Amino acid sequence: MDEIMAGVTQRGQGQAVSAAPEGGHQGAPTRDRGAAWFLRIVRKPRWTALLASAASLVAGVGLWQWLTESHVHLILDFSNIPTPVAVFEAFRVVVVTNAFWRDIYWSMYRIIVAFGLATVVGVSAGIAMGYSAILRLVIAPYVEMLRPIPAIAWVPMAILVWPTTEESIISITFLGAVFPIVLNTWEGVRRVPRELVKAARSLGANRLNVLFHVVVPYAIPSITVGMALGMGGAWFALLAGEMISGRFGIGYFTWESYQLIQYGNIIVGMLTIGFLSSVSTGSIYYLKRKLVPWAE
Amino acid sequence: MRNIGNIDVRGLTLGFRNFGRTNAVVEDFSFKFDGGSFTSIIGSSGCGKSTLLNAIGGHYKPLAGQILLDGCEIKEPTASLGIVFQQHTLFPWKTVMENVRFGPMQRGVSKVRANAVAAKYIEMVGLAGYGDYYPKMLSGGMQHRAEIARALANAPAVLLMDEPFGALDAQMRASLQSSLLDIWKETHVTIIFVTHDVEEAMYLSERIVVMSRDRGRICEVFALDEPFPRNKDKLFASEGGRDLKEKCIGCLAS
Ligand SMILES: Nc1ncnc2c1ncn2[C@@H]1O[C@H](COP(=O)(O)OP(=O)(O)OP(=O)(O)O)[C@@H](O)[C@H]1O
Ligand SMILES: [Mg+2]
Repeated sequence: MDEIMAGVTQRGQGQAVSAAPEGGHQGAPTRDRGAAWFLRIVRKPRWTALLASAASLVAGVGLWQWLTESHVHLILDFSNIPTPVAVFEAFRVVVVTNAFWRDIYWSMYRIIVAFGLATVVGVSAGIAMGYSAILRLVIAPYVEMLRPIPAIAWVPMAILVWPTTEESIISITFLGAVFPIVLNTWEGVRRVPRELVKAARSLGANRLNVLFHVVVPYAIPSITVGMALGMGGAWFALLAGEMISGRFGIGYFTWESYQLIQYGNIIVGMLTIGFLSSVSTGSIYYLKRKLVPWAE
Repeated sequence: MRNIGNIDVRGLTLGFRNFGRTNAVVEDFSFKFDGGSFTSIIGSSGCGKSTLLNAIGGHYKPLAGQILLDGCEIKEPTASLGIVFQQHTLFPWKTVMENVRFGPMQRGVSKVRANAVAAKYIEMVGLAGYGDYYPKMLSGGMQHRAEIARALANAPAVLLMDEPFGALDAQMRASLQSSLLDIWKETHVTIIFVTHDVEEAMYLSERIVVMSRDRGRICEVFALDEPFPRNKDKLFASEGGRDLKEKCIGCLAS
């Protein structure tokens, strides 16, 4: 039974942005059990686990096919929703067009720029707040005041302030990502054990070296959690920005499909968004495992 | 008496702020640790040994009095005041080797030299072959030994050790005790050694300071003239040894 659980959480990990930071290691105990005979026993339930998930997915798609084919209208209206087969047809058509890939390119470009900026700004601000009492007093009020404002609420302001929509979308995406990064970095820095700082000082490290050899390494796991959360926030904000004011981008693609009554493309767009967002969050967890081999 | 590594504690009062009140843990403590001497501090749990050691290491600000290192007041931690803490303080993100060479590298020693120094002390504490391990991959006692190596590799003028061998088995303890004595003889470092173990204090030190539970007052100071290297069996079997041990234990109990 617990094998099934492990299998499922592992696969779901990409989307579960707010999942526990240690989510990436849930599969580990299975591997550690070592002995070959034992693995053979373990592998069987793993196939069952795969099968169960696959069956569930097939059933879901089947239900979708049935609901849409028979135009069910019971509170929810399925009459305008394309069937899975139609969605697949739409995907086959759209995947070879330049426009589709151009939209993906633009979204990824915006994510990378905005998220990169948010990481640099967020980590610096978080470290500054955690390490210097004065800087905390200067920065904290802004963080506390601006953090509760959802990134979408910035859309009108952003359009007014920035010369082009491109910049306003990037700034909104930035705002969606930066706060979790600041807060988690700050939290990590604040929790640095005094004993480790004392040990470093007694070994002759000055304040700056304590920062780089003790404080920052200690905070890295926490920072990566903030980055994973920030990545989720970035996609959320990006989509809002693209749908409201964008030209190009996968959010724009999805919204435009609605307006052009290409309903199959709406779902293609949604699935693409889910895929891209989970790949980018997954890459943060991958980065974490590479960066902190010492933590487990 | 040597001209470096002299610790002079004068009228030292230490305390913590708890819930807004300041309670003194150590009050009006005065003692001179001569350069190159080996002094053990024993005392019952909670009497303020760690607090005193941390203060000498420059980590706590005295409420009153002062601590001098070779005539200069200790205001902050420095590399000359090496500490082996009671708690585990290896850096989890550094391997054993990186931990041990941290001190020398902070002083600007080249990586090659620092590696050589670190390797020497890692081998001395019996961790040869574990240089690439992260602390979490070591047992508690092994971590403690790595910490001892880290403090020694920095070649401090004063070595403050807070129950460094407490977590070790008898054999490892004996081996590290003799290594410590070798290092002491070789480098003339001033050692202040906190322990719970009266026999350990007797075997290692020139003087034993017994702290009382009553605000860390010095209960008694015993001097041991027995020359090094000492023989444990002879030491504890001798008239004077048995006598001293009894006195120490009596002091602790009071
Ligand atoms: N960080 C702290 N904050 C408040 N009180 C403290 C702190 N550290 C120690 N104390 C208090 O100071 C007293 C002495 O503690 P200390 O750690 O120096 O004892 P110790 O002699 O080293 O004991 P042990 O042999 O158990 O290690 C204790 O009563 C403890 O409650
Ligand atoms: Mg203690």
